[in-house]
Amino acid sequence: MLDLITEQTLKKLGEKLNNSFASETAEEFLQTLLNLMGLMFTFHDGYRSNIKNFEGRYQFCSKDGEVTVAALFHDNRMEVVEKKIDRPDITITFRNGRTLLNFIMSPRQDILGSMLRHDVMTEGNLNYLYKFGFMAKQLQLMMPQLPR
Amino acid sequence: MTNITLHDMTLKDFTLESLPRLTELRRLSFARQPEICIERARYITEYLRHHDDPADAPEVRQARKVNYFLQRKKPVFHDRNLLAGSTTSKALGAPLFPEFFALTLWPELETVSSRAKNPQKLTPEEARELNLEIFPFWMDKNVLELTRKRIGNARCLKLFESLVFFIAAKAGCISHAVPTYASMLEHGLSGLISMAAEREAAAVAHASDEGNRQADFYRAVQISLQGIMEYAEHLAAEAERLAAAEHDPAARRELLDMAGICRRVPARPAATFREAVNAIWICQVGIHAENINMAMSPGRLDQLLYPYYKRDMEAGRLDIGGAVELIGCLWLKIADNVTMVPEASEEMFGGAGTVPAITLGGVDADGRDAVNDLTYIMLRVTELLRIRDPNVNARYDYEINSPEYCRRVSEVILSTRAVPAFFNDKANIMALTGQGESLAHARDYAVIGCVELASSGRDYPASSSIMLNLAAPLEMALFQGKRPITGEEQIGPATPDPATLQSFEQFWEVFKTQLDWLIEQAIELNEAMGAVHQQMMPSPLLSAFFTGPMDKGRDLIRGGSLYNSSGATHIAFADVVDALNAIEQTVFIDKKYGFAELLQMVKSNFAGPAGEKMRLFLQNRAPKYGTEHPIARKNARNIVRHLFDLYQSHTNYRGGPYRPAYWTMTNHAGLGGITGALPHGRKAGELFASGITPVSGAAPELTACLNAVAELGGECVPGCWALNIKYSPENDMAQMTDRFAQTIEAYFRAGGQQVQFNIMTYEMLQDAKKYPDKYPELMVRVSGYSAYFKDLNELMKEELITRTMYDLANGRAVACPAEKGGE
Repeated sequence: MLDLITEQTLKKLGEKLNNSFASETAEEFLQTLLNLMGLMFTFHDGYRSNIKNFEGRYQFCSKDGEVTVAALFHDNRMEVVEKKIDRPDITITFRNGRTLLNFIMSPRQDILGSMLRHDVMTEGNLNYLYKFGFMAKQLQLMMPQLPR
Repeated sequence: MTNITLHDMTLKDFTLESLPRLTELRRLSFARQPEICIERARYITEYLRHHDDPADAPEVRQARKVNYFLQRKKPVFHDRNLLAGSTTSKALGAPLFPEFFALTLWPELETVSSRAKNPQKLTPEEARELNLEIFPFWMDKNVLELTRKRIGNARCLKLFESLVFFIAAKAGCISHAVPTYASMLEHGLSGLISMAAEREAAAVAHASDEGNRQADFYRAVQISLQGIMEYAEHLAAEAERLAAAEHDPAARRELLDMAGICRRVPARPAATFREAVNAIWICQVGIHAENINMAMSPGRLDQLLYPYYKRDMEAGRLDIGGAVELIGCLWLKIADNVTMVPEASEEMFGGAGTVPAITLGGVDADGRDAVNDLTYIMLRVTELLRIRDPNVNARYDYEINSPEYCRRVSEVILSTRAVPAFFNDKANIMALTGQGESLAHARDYAVIGCVELASSGRDYPASSSIMLNLAAPLEMALFQGKRPITGEEQIGPATPDPATLQSFEQFWEVFKTQLDWLIEQAIELNEAMGAVHQQMMPSPLLSAFFTGPMDKGRDLIRGGSLYNSSGATHIAFADVVDALNAIEQTVFIDKKYGFAELLQMVKSNFAGPAGEKMRLFLQNRAPKYGTEHPIARKNARNIVRHLFDLYQSHTNYRGGPYRPAYWTMTNHAGLGGITGALPHGRKAGELFASGITPVSGAAPELTACLNAVAELGGECVPGCWALNIKYSPENDMAQMTDRFAQTIEAYFRAGGQQVQFNIMTYEMLQDAKKYPDKYPELMVRVSGYSAYFKDLNELMKEELITRTMYDLANGRAVACPAEKGGE
């Protein structure tokens, strides 16, 4: 059962994420998405089952070097750090927040197009990206205010 | 001696109205929505998690895995098809192969059932099982990731993963083969197992490393074939169970008949035509327990089944109507599966079937006319059903096969508007003998998947190993080893600025430098993936249906086949030839433009009035492939020759050469969409021409177009090609059929290897794009395979609409309506 504060935080983050869909730049998209994921892993049993025994190291970087964020999955938890990490399973380099959003969870998701246009580049094991994509999509479906 | 006893080769008395079973099965095949079947993924994961012994030889591990699945594979009867067995547990199923790209489905597990384009049903329970049980096991274990473990994030792997240089298809499958079922029909699987057991004993007696390896292989063959036999027994038991509960006497009889057949075949030799057909089908299902459902081609079924047909007809056990019905049932069974396509891949592969190719007619191993009654029966079934799979192909030897046969094939193409494709025996047999195949073996060739060639059951060509984008090395030649899409990154060798070159020959050398470098990268990755396949995905089951492995005691993936090769196909051939033509003619011969000036306009996508003026000049005045212009003919020949020489100089991990080919599936649309402007006046993002077909609008004369393509054929294109020709339909079909057949003959005599058709107008396709519901069954030829027009992505629809259409009556191209408007 989510308490009132958590529910309100979730709502707020959901709205913020929703704004990313509408915004031209969507620069805060990644941070908001990871925060929202973190909360849901903590409070939602079903959602948490996605990371049970899951070990994964994700590095997200913007092409201009402005954004360097890592998501580390370990001990059934997710940790977010703003730095370069060693031995990432996958590195995702994106042109800007908008291209990352289109890549991961836009209602008109365009993974192949993003890669063909080199809006987003990856290095490493793509299966980690597919899993992340599932978790993002599941989150999207759980948040009624987000576009489908 | 002729094998034709039919009074009417068109079999026009057999219609869908007179064949209610086929009518109903066909209706169902269009009505069904594809469903993802997780059965195979579930059982192989379960086996690997709990039962696999890594100490076993790779072939034995694979055989045990396949056997485990086949023992548990659900026997299902979805409808009143007379043949027992189904590729998946679903009526129209997409099986999952986590060894390859199944995990690409992960992001859309919860949405794949309802996505807008080509949805594939998946229950929430199955989605949950995939998310939590199956996919996590495979995170680091599919072919691509095992390759990465082997070579790291090497340059060649990065180039592949960027998607815009080449596709290394082994990450997704090898499959693409034509097994032969002759030995299975003659001896039964029990007989093949006995042979393998004897050879295993002999190999063990050698007491050597090689003997032990052979013994492992023979043991693996026995284990995997046993799996098929158990599956057939389960089918029999299920049919008996359903029969016991069935109230309709006719349906009960059918189920009991199928049960009886499954108790006999494929374990024992086939005694009747029906047993032979069902035995082939069950083995085809078995093959897909091991290898992904992509272009596993049954081959020359009119030859293989003819003795059983003849015997039954002579004994009065079979009539023509019964044979038509059984072949129809087989065609519809072959179409019972699709590939799992994630939404992201719809751009590249949307609408494709699984392309199991069937090959009809041609000559036999002794060079005699092989066309028989079954050839015509299969043509009639193809004409009646008009379904996407199987991919039916007609071989034609213009000196041996009768003109009536050529005319009948032409009639079926005009009637279906799309199938079958036509293959020239003379040119294709020459191409295969050029690869060292004996004449008898080359004459027994069959088509794999789209267009590729293989001696039936003797040739393991991994024909889709490399799909190379020829526009990539062209751009790298123009921009000193860089491509606009990859920005400032130095991709290929830093070749000289073209503006500094003094002759076209110098530019040709620069282009070859980039091309050769890229091909070396693609081959390096293919070799690494081949080594992974040897460890992870041997094919002992498939090997049992080939000549070679059973004699050598060696799996197909280790070079067990009689003939071994790897195929490399090429995208943007016509566009690259035209770009070279434009550079040679306008920059170096006419000196109309300086190279620097041309490059600047290409970079700017021919921006501004001056750019548009130049673009129109290049498009309309530079020499074009598909015409008789000597520069265009020379450049086309040079590319084909160079690619042939280069590939043939490499030996693959199975000891065979690389074979170049020219077919593109739908990649010419996707890759064209992301490629910058090119020097022949093509603007950025415009689609490439398909296969070996000239650029749309570039070849105004049909005869010149066919000759320009035909002269490239034979020895230098051992992987074959896809030539797409579109004709406007005529009112007088008899007259059109005559002209059609004459044109085929002339094209083949000039050396053309293959041609496929769409008999439809620009307007009809435009209407089908606008109102898809009006054309639910409209079948079109893409580049080597058939698809339903409504299923294709928007780019491909546009490509099909704008393909040059010819009026067969006058041999001239008809202007596209948009062009007319512009006049």
